[in-house]
Amino acid sequence: MTRDDIKDLILDIIADIDEDAEFAGLDSDKPLRDQLDLDSMDFLDIVMELRKRHKLQIPEEEYPELATLNSCVNYLEPKLKDQ
Amino acid sequence: MADYQLVIIGGGLSGLASGIRAARFGLKTLIVEQHSLPGGLNSYYYRHGFLLETGLHAMTNFAEVGDRHAPLNRLFRQLKLSRKTFATHQQLSSLIRFPEVSLRFSNDLALLEAEVEQQFPHCRTPFQKLVAAVREYDPFHPAPWRSARRFLAGLIPDPLLVDMLLLPLMVYGNSEEHDMDLGQFVIMFQALFVEGFFRPHGTMKDFLTMLVEQYKGFGGELRYSSRVAGVRRQGDRVEGVELAGGEYVSCDTLLSTVGAPGTAALVGWPADAPKYEGQMSFVESISVLPAAQRAVLDAHHTIIFYNSQQTLSYKRPAIAMNPDWGVICFPENFQDLPEQDFFQVRITNPANYAIWKQADPKEYQRLKADSEARTFARVSEIIGNYQQNRVYHDSFTPLTIERYTAKAQGAVYGSPIKIKDGLTPYSNLFMAGTDQGFLGIVGAMLSGVTIVNQRILMRS
Repeated sequence: MTRDDIKDLILDIIADIDEDAEFAGLDSDKPLRDQLDLDSMDFLDIVMELRKRHKLQIPEEEYPELATLNSCVNYLEPKLKDQ
Repeated sequence: MADYQLVIIGGGLSGLASGIRAARFGLKTLIVEQHSLPGGLNSYYYRHGFLLETGLHAMTNFAEVGDRHAPLNRLFRQLKLSRKTFATHQQLSSLIRFPEVSLRFSNDLALLEAEVEQQFPHCRTPFQKLVAAVREYDPFHPAPWRSARRFLAGLIPDPLLVDMLLLPLMVYGNSEEHDMDLGQFVIMFQALFVEGFFRPHGTMKDFLTMLVEQYKGFGGELRYSSRVAGVRRQGDRVEGVELAGGEYVSCDTLLSTVGAPGTAALVGWPADAPKYEGQMSFVESISVLPAAQRAVLDAHHTIIFYNSQQTLSYKRPAIAMNPDWGVICFPENFQDLPEQDFFQVRITNPANYAIWKQADPKEYQRLKADSEARTFARVSEIIGNYQQNRVYHDSFTPLTIERYTAKAQGAVYGSPIKIKDGLTPYSNLFMAGTDQGFLGIVGAMLSGVTIVNQRILMRS
């Protein structure tokens, strides 16, 4: 997956878990949590969707790596390079 | 390999919500429900062409679409159900009625504040302080039991107002007698007074169908009329469930929603069972009346919480049923509900399980008739003659509740001791539902969601 693919994947997952998600004006370097008003239960859904769709196991201590869109891409790029 | 990754005992609201979470993320899941219908305490049945709902008076925790942090809306996101297409009807207004003073409340807290100010002028500021304290308190942060009564006595200078505020909060979800845990008080205050009552546009049957379809859509399996007779265990782990028909189903993880006493009995968990047995049970009567009868009754509130004594005696009565306090609900009284040909009056009063349990069939029928008459004598003084022209009547006792909901001693709110973390002495057996400390339909479902999230999804 390219970096852009991963970005799309994350946005697709968020749109899927949250019918209210609005991506206009989203800043890739700012926390998704604040910008999209996600709570810890929503965050777990992102992790679970990544597991379901791409067999990725993300340990709880690494959840902070998913804080912003760019940090998601940085964190997931090596894990998804062959998918 | 086990037959299922997750088996859930009980197809009530916490079991269904748990099942949806697990199945949504690919766990091979089976729910076993002892009855032929889902819902547990909140189910339905048909009599004389009427669909009658059990349990449900109203749902608590009302939230507008878009209020993202409200429990109702978080619940819908977690279950991947569309909140936007789930139509709701808010309550009209409700009443707390004591001998000399009454307080109205609605889903706008300002009404209760104004009522308190009018009826208890000296409590205006203390009540505002209470509301502020409730808003700041995090009831989900683990904390030891703390007396809500003591907390209230320190804030509100009038014991009558304290009892009046406690009546609805206790009767809608307190498993302890007399007092309640402060955290539980805060949860209930938010659920009833801040967020408020509503009902879905559809029936309880429609609501349950929506949940079952969501669960099955994610690949979950559900077996009705399947009673779990025992749980097989090996050391500190459970291995599977034995069904009443003799079949054995193995699982990696087991989630029980049948309460602490029920779970302990199934597993042979040497828990101190009596201390987990709730004392609070109720008799409920349902009367169905023709719409025209509405005009002769004082039936304009959604729910009336009444007490005919000066102080609130929230405990198991010494007699079969105590009509001194209770709940009168008009399930058709919600905003913008279409006019029906009939309407219901539902009355709930505290009852003594042990007395009903001891009665032989003849005595049981006599107790039922006697309860009905004593409730009528008290409630007809409040709302008028609700038996005249009635087309249908039925009542449930603590035994009915125990039989249909697996709640030990018919204790609708379960054990007075809550197992908030859902853990048991067995490493792969967890508990969700009422005895985990979340109450009401939204609470029971959030309990299932939370336990699956914390104990199963985040660990697997």
